[in-house]
Amino acid sequence: MSTQSRSAPLPGPLSGLFAPARVQATVIQIATVAMFLLACLTVDNYATASNIASILYAASTVGIAAVGLASVTISGNLFALSLGSTAAFASIIYIQLSGLGVIGALLGSLALGVVFGLIQGIVVGLLRCNAIITTIAASSLIAGLATAFSGGRTVLATGGPSWLGNGAILPGIPWQAVIFLVVVVVAELLLQRSRTGWELRLRGTNPAAAELAGLRTRRVVVLSYVLAGAGAAMAGALIAAQSGTGNMRVGADLDFSAIAAMLVGGVAISGGRGRIIDVAAGTLFLAVLTNILLVNNFAYEVQLMIKGLAVLVAVTAGALLSRKKR
Amino acid sequence: MFRQFADNPLMLLRWLLLIAMGLIFTLANSYFLAPGNLYSLGESFSLLGLVALGLALTMLVGEFDLSGGAMVAVSGLIMLKLGESNAFVGLAAALAFGAGVGALNGLLTLRLQVSSLVTTLGVMILLSGFAVWLEGGQGVSFSNYDLTDAFNASWLSVLSPRSVITIALFAAVGVALAITRLGRDIIAAGSHRKAATMSGANVASAVLSAFIASGLFAALAGALLAITLGRASSTFGANLLLQAASAAILGGIALSGGVGRPFGVAIGVLVLCVLNNGLGLIGASSPVVMLLNGAVLLVAVLVDGAPGQWLRRSRAAH
Repeated sequence: MSTQSRSAPLPGPLSGLFAPARVQATVIQIATVAMFLLACLTVDNYATASNIASILYAASTVGIAAVGLASVTISGNLFALSLGSTAAFASIIYIQLSGLGVIGALLGSLALGVVFGLIQGIVVGLLRCNAIITTIAASSLIAGLATAFSGGRTVLATGGPSWLGNGAILPGIPWQAVIFLVVVVVAELLLQRSRTGWELRLRGTNPAAAELAGLRTRRVVVLSYVLAGAGAAMAGALIAAQSGTGNMRVGADLDFSAIAAMLVGGVAISGGRGRIIDVAAGTLFLAVLTNILLVNNFAYEVQLMIKGLAVLVAVTAGALLSRKKR
Repeated sequence: MFRQFADNPLMLLRWLLLIAMGLIFTLANSYFLAPGNLYSLGESFSLLGLVALGLALTMLVGEFDLSGGAMVAVSGLIMLKLGESNAFVGLAAALAFGAGVGALNGLLTLRLQVSSLVTTLGVMILLSGFAVWLEGGQGVSFSNYDLTDAFNASWLSVLSPRSVITIALFAAVGVALAITRLGRDIIAAGSHRKAATMSGANVASAVLSAFIASGLFAALAGALLAITLGRASSTFGANLLLQAASAAILGGIALSGGVGRPFGVAIGVLVLCVLNNGLGLIGASSPVVMLLNGAVLLVAVLVDGAPGQWLRRSRAAH
């Protein structure tokens, strides 16, 4: 298919899929589906409800954090490194508030993420401070606050698991995956169809030009950090709901997993390029890949190495394919 | 001197922090200035300093090497695994591996023309998997006790072999950046890539050298750590990358490239080492340590950002 697209432009709506800016995202989407179908055919008991659910649990938490992170990246501020500690604090808050019911606890954790995101957004967007270092500092401060708040201990939920933790809307489709889907759809519409999203993407393409053109660049930068904080907090709450525990280890590798998922999906680290559905595709790609390695009994270190290679191969392929077309 | 401080408030902040912390910790615990503590300060300076120096070089050339922390773990394991019978073989293998991975980072970044944040992230994940694989489920220990003892020697009762090597490397890199062609190319490539290319600077070799140096220094840090401790683990180097980035930026290195010098980085590293060493001495709890680390970075970032610029502008108006 790729050779065809190189020799002659595809007709109609397909031509856009292989445009230089879109080719990596398209390839990853096709690869994800192909990989999943291949595994269904070759691995015994692969397409069972419980295995699909386990892929979706892994994808939902990382994916929601990656969607929030992507708004920071697309708006031109590279990435945030405070997602892991935000998720950890949110997991502790979720468990502490579990007496209020699932919705109350979820809203409480989200509020925490929004506040932390807002503060970082103000420091980066309004005070114009270095984006990366601000989030490293925030990560340290949030981890300190969370450790002080929890006394460094693991907090345990009372009572049985909730529908959010292990409930499924259909066999194989957990509620957490439904939430992931809703987050993706809402964020995709926000970024692609709203004035705010349009300003956010233009801020990432060319910050100076966006400002000169009178776009509300400061507002969208602050908003992007609020979304990142909310996404990380939601991921932490979902992990807490699954495991019934909240502690500082929740989200330990969330930062780099989310960055990897986003980059594999075809979001450009330099900003401006990429869509929220690409983030979802990248997340699913890595989740399916990890799951295939897991069911084939590959050791943890092999999974890590293949994940690293997948990032390199996806990025290399994306760079080469988009260059050939130029 | 004073005009320099006024132009660069971050430099003033670094010195103020260092002096204030030195005074506070000395008053709080007289052991702070004892030779034994200065020795251990030098040890932590060596570990963080080498990683930060390499990272700072990649930042100077306008790139960013995320793989330094994972390299520390891998090179320590290579050092001990291959250096069991002959330590030179282990050290050479660890350093060659570091330089090789650095070259890979540099070539990927140059050839693909994608951000080095992306290529080095892939390499970082790859290396952390490799470290767990090398470790094989248990920590690796070193039976060459003579070498470990030699590296735990103290000179003038405060200097360790590691800290001397690190200080010498900082000085060498500082001089090389100032007087060699390659050094000027690195700074030029980081300041304005296109202008540097047009004016005849060898940008490709500058970028490649910065990445090789970064891999090499991180590998050296890991190998020296493994020799000194007599053991290695895949968990060494966790958090080191973020600390190194903090130290580099606190030291005046700009993420946009071209700005900052190794001497500033050394002070940035020293600020973080003194903070953590002093807090450990006075028995601060872990939340306090995390909060203060975050607070120091936040102050640095604010002084460097718009609030610092407003201060400077309002003073200039007087």
